[in-house]
Amino acid sequence: MKMWIGGTLAAAAFALAMPVIAGQATGAKAGNFRVNDATGKVIELEQFRGKTVVLEWNNPGCPFVQKHYTSGNMQNTQAAARKDGVVWLTINSGAPGKQGYMTGPEALKFVKEQKSNASYYLLDPKGVVGKGYGAKTTPQMFIIDKTGTLVYQGGIDDKATAKVADIASATNYVTAALSEMKAGKAVSIRESRPYGCSVKYSDVS
Amino acid sequence: MKMLRFAIMTLLSLLLGTQAHAQAQPTHIKPALIAESVVPAAGGIVTLALAMKPDRGWHGYWKNPGDAGITPEFNWTLPAGVTAADAEYPVPHRLMLAGLMNYVYEGDYAHLITLTLPAGLAKGTKLPIQLAADWLACTDQVCVPESGTMAIELVVGDGTIDAGRKGQFDRWRALLPRPLGSEGRFEVAGGNFRLGVPLPASATLGEVYFFPLTDGAIDYAAPQTVRRDGDMLTIEVKAAGAAGELKVIDGVLALDKDKGLALKALPGKVSAAGAIVGPADTGRMEGAGGLAGTLLASFGAALLGGLLLNIMPCVFPILSLKALSLARSGGHETAARREALAYTAGIVLVCVGLGAALLGLRAGGSAAGWAFQLQDPRVILFLLLLVSAVAFNLAGLFDFASLGFGNRLAAQGGTTGAFWTGALAAFVATPCTGPFMGVALGAALVLPPIAALTIFAGLGLGLALPFLALGFIPALRKRLPKPGAWMERFQRILSIPMFVTALGLAWILGRQAGVDGMAMGLAAALVLGLALWWIGRRQSHGDGRNWLALAPAAAVAMAMILTVSPAPKASAGAPAAGILAAEPFSEARLAALQQEGRPVFVYFTADWCLSCKVNEKAAIQRQEVADAFAARRVAVLVGDWTDGDPVIGRFIESHGRSGVPLYLFYKPGGAPEILPQVLTPERLTALAV
Repeated sequence: MKMWIGGTLAAAAFALAMPVIAGQATGAKAGNFRVNDATGKVIELEQFRGKTVVLEWNNPGCPFVQKHYTSGNMQNTQAAARKDGVVWLTINSGAPGKQGYMTGPEALKFVKEQKSNASYYLLDPKGVVGKGYGAKTTPQMFIIDKTGTLVYQGGIDDKATAKVADIASATNYVTAALSEMKAGKAVSIRESRPYGCSVKYSDVS
Repeated sequence: MKMLRFAIMTLLSLLLGTQAHAQAQPTHIKPALIAESVVPAAGGIVTLALAMKPDRGWHGYWKNPGDAGITPEFNWTLPAGVTAADAEYPVPHRLMLAGLMNYVYEGDYAHLITLTLPAGLAKGTKLPIQLAADWLACTDQVCVPESGTMAIELVVGDGTIDAGRKGQFDRWRALLPRPLGSEGRFEVAGGNFRLGVPLPASATLGEVYFFPLTDGAIDYAAPQTVRRDGDMLTIEVKAAGAAGELKVIDGVLALDKDKGLALKALPGKVSAAGAIVGPADTGRMEGAGGLAGTLLASFGAALLGGLLLNIMPCVFPILSLKALSLARSGGHETAARREALAYTAGIVLVCVGLGAALLGLRAGGSAAGWAFQLQDPRVILFLLLLVSAVAFNLAGLFDFASLGFGNRLAAQGGTTGAFWTGALAAFVATPCTGPFMGVALGAALVLPPIAALTIFAGLGLGLALPFLALGFIPALRKRLPKPGAWMERFQRILSIPMFVTALGLAWILGRQAGVDGMAMGLAAALVLGLALWWIGRRQSHGDGRNWLALAPAAAVAMAMILTVSPAPKASAGAPAAGILAAEPFSEARLAALQQEGRPVFVYFTADWCLSCKVNEKAAIQRQEVADAFAARRVAVLVGDWTDGDPVIGRFIESHGRSGVPLYLFYKPGGAPEILPQVLTPERLTALAV
């Protein structure tokens, strides 16, 4: 049972109970998941096989997320990736009642206001996808290549601060990895330490 | 001159302000930059503190924040030549939120920063110091990045430190991890990270936890298993993905809350052997199943031991008396049961109470053993008088039943009386426990507190068992002999073991307080006996209420109890009881010894420092060293840094070391020679030539 299979909604009934925050091994096949997006559409990771997929953990109330959205850094990174045919999934694993939790309409409002360029905004209020991927902070980034292999996990960049001013001098790990993949090269930095707020999972596991 | 300097200092600090609060908007963690000395000396150092005060419910982060959060940042603006060392962090606490581990400070805390001043600055030179700090303040729900800019102005002076401020800084210093000195080893195997830390087997442990500074070594949220195998402490925890690639790991090993050792570990073999140390106790146990087994066996042994105690000379008469009174009461079913239960409650409560007091003493660091209360001659004297009174009563000198107390005892079915009889039996029984109880009580001392108390309760239960049986099994009660004239004779005979107990106690008193103490105790017993005899006389004349006669006797006894003191022991008081007589270190004592023109050997040690202990055993506490030192009148001072005494810490630092071991040798009138950290007896004997 190396493959991790999770899900919500229809899949929730047979989803594996994941009380502990597990995680995915870099270089191994990324676990599939199936969740609703902000419009209610069911999105499955498997459906993007053949395309590079970026996962971005999001909490609009978190100052570290705000650092990258108010500066436009996240949107620019999304736009550049989408231009190269990358699928960008923004995921919110905040539990109801916790900071950053959003209903579908609220998430759509966030996407519109922030001019997000993500392909889909996914809602994971039970934290099944978040815990399955070992997402600990917002923001936290994952890159899955065309074959479904996890090639990067970690922070958006190497400046672990909440200051917008630090973005200019920071190395954006996602941009770097995507351009290496585009050039047919191996990703040089495959893991980094994510930084930011803790993912606001539900207290009951 | 002193007054003048004080006045100037006060004025200076008033003018300059000795601390600066962050301006701008209020933050959830309030910072303040404080200097230990506002008049630091040129070419010297000065410690600054960034004192952080989180609002209720908020926390700040350690250097490694854990699963989320960020490291605080400090940006200094300093005058030319002044340098700031990295900020030091106190030992953090753990905060688990929804499965994510945070390394935090939930109460007030302080970062300490050492500034170094260049030499050659003229006195009175102003040194404006500015700090821009960024930190993350969080509750269990939200996080707010905060920042503050603080400025203070120092003036080059003589480095005077205000006593109150020094005390405050020392309290902050005590919360910093102390450098362990020796290196640890780590191994990643089977998905687990194992850290081995050399730590003396004798070092006491509280809540042990390894806080890694190096990221990517461990799964922060995973539970840590702590083992101890002799002088090696190991921590095992789920490894992080790439832990195997790490070349070195830094971290803080917390030995208890707010107490930690800073250490570095290199890759190497780490044994998985050793007894698991419980998560929140100082004792060791053999795993969960083993604990239950140990507990059951020890409880059984304690029960049996308690049962055997009933035939000991100190307990048997008391039990017999209770049994007889039960027989006398005619066998009222409910009364007998109530009495038996009260007696049991008295015994068990006293046993558990003594046990709890013992565990408390041990937790406080004292090496108390069972029957610790018998190490105090005052307690022995009290027991001697009590046992004498009981013996005189049994011998017929006076009658207990005519006591108001005794009458009530009969009237009420004796519940209260039975309780106190039980308490008395348990208290008096403690000197007799030794031979039977050694194993069970030995086990109790290394078990978790609740389990240990269960064993003490078992001892009490065993002691109470015969009487409990009498109370609850009417058939047994029926087999008690019918009351009659023989009972009086039996009572007289029972007085003999009681007198024997009193004799034993007098002997113990003699051992503890010398011949004078023993004579005092016996005199007190005599006065008591006379008073009781007088009461007995009055009783036989029908005046059973005149207990005033006891007042002078009680006064004498009380005076004796208060005055008796342990006899001075031949060789006690040396902190490191060993071959080498050593005095506790203080700078004043060191100066005094140097004044006398004596050579002085000073060594600093700590219970958690393995190399210290090895040196002490192999090189310092040796006969040849003691002889050589004695021949040359070398004085020995020992400084114990186990609890991080800041005075010792400063002294060690002033000799260019950050921790123990430190060995110094002062030749008369000379500067100290710092000896190597690995000592040999030859190296030490060579000093005294």
